[in-house]
Amino acid sequence: MKKFLTTAFLFTLAAVAFAQGAPAAAPVAKSLFEGQFTAHIALAIAAAGCGLAQGKAVVAACEGVARNPQAAGNIRTTMIIGLALIEALVIYVLVAAFAIK
Amino acid sequence: MEHHASLLAQWLTQVLHLSQHPWPGFAHGAALSILERYDHLLNAALAALVAMLFTTLVRKNLSRIPGPLQQMFEGVVEWLKGMINDNIAHHGEKYLPFIGTMALFVFFNNLFGLLPALSPGTSNWNVTLGAALVVFGYYNFQGMKEQGVGKYWLHFAGPIWWLAPLMFPLEILGLLSRILSHSLRLFGNIAGEHVVAGIFFGLMPILLPVPMMFLGLFFGLIQTFVFTMLAVIYLSGAVSHEH
Repeated sequence: MKKFLTTAFLFTLAAVAFAQGAPAAAPVAKSLFEGQFTAHIALAIAAAGCGLAQGKAVVAACEGVARNPQAAGNIRTTMIIGLALIEALVIYVLVAAFAIK
Repeated sequence: MEHHASLLAQWLTQVLHLSQHPWPGFAHGAALSILERYDHLLNAALAALVAMLFTTLVRKNLSRIPGPLQQMFEGVVEWLKGMINDNIAHHGEKYLPFIGTMALFVFFNNLFGLLPALSPGTSNWNVTLGAALVVFGYYNFQGMKEQGVGKYWLHFAGPIWWLAPLMFPLEILGLLSRILSHSLRLFGNIAGEHVVAGIFFGLMPILLPVPMMFLGLFFGLIQTFVFTMLAVIYLSGAVSHEH
């Protein structure tokens, strides 16, 4: 927990430092969670969740094929459909990221 | 999203001396010709033309001893037929022409990103939304034709009558959001892949984009498969009789 907090703190510091390093062209101070930064973080979170979920799906499919190789065709089709449905959630975030830009 | 017209559209604009002017509310007022503005339609139409060319070639030269092109297309048709027969219980083969057309259109559009000077038509939401809307209209029409108009819309209400006021709006909402998910999935995948390949190309134009282009080939195939598969599943849900 302590390690996590430290890391989070360091990341926040880094983000603030990067924000300060950018040329201050606009007179109005922009919030950190405005514009592209939001899009990038949102996409990262979505991709992480999608990776976990797709990993679980593929593990289950692999186990299924290993136990019953004759069902490989059906399992593959179902798996691809499932993966597409999981992936769609990330795609929504990607589209939103495009829109924010 | 920023607008990047394909090189073909830019080149055609120069050759044909098309007038360039800003479009209100589009691309931050950059001066674009009509071809650059409706770049995605140009690419989609080209992809459709190429698909028609290939299929017409195969159709004209049908023979008992199939050549390479005919063998490939026979494989595609067999595969689509198998997919439809697996998912739609009775006499599903009458839907083959429509499903096959959508599959070919989407496939050729996806692969257009790999050709130099072109961008995939499906990397624009308008094209995929059009495709998804056509599929949506088709399966609703077939469902109403197969089950009768009243019975088709009544089956959204669910089996329990006192849950119908809750179920019916939810099912209709689900039906409408299918358009969104069906089109956005294809658009996001192809557009994302194309953007990443473009960034790689910007980093180093030689060799570096090749793995991404290979991935683009693979994704184009997978997304065509997913798009077609979902169309078949929606269709089978619409036309199947409940026993």
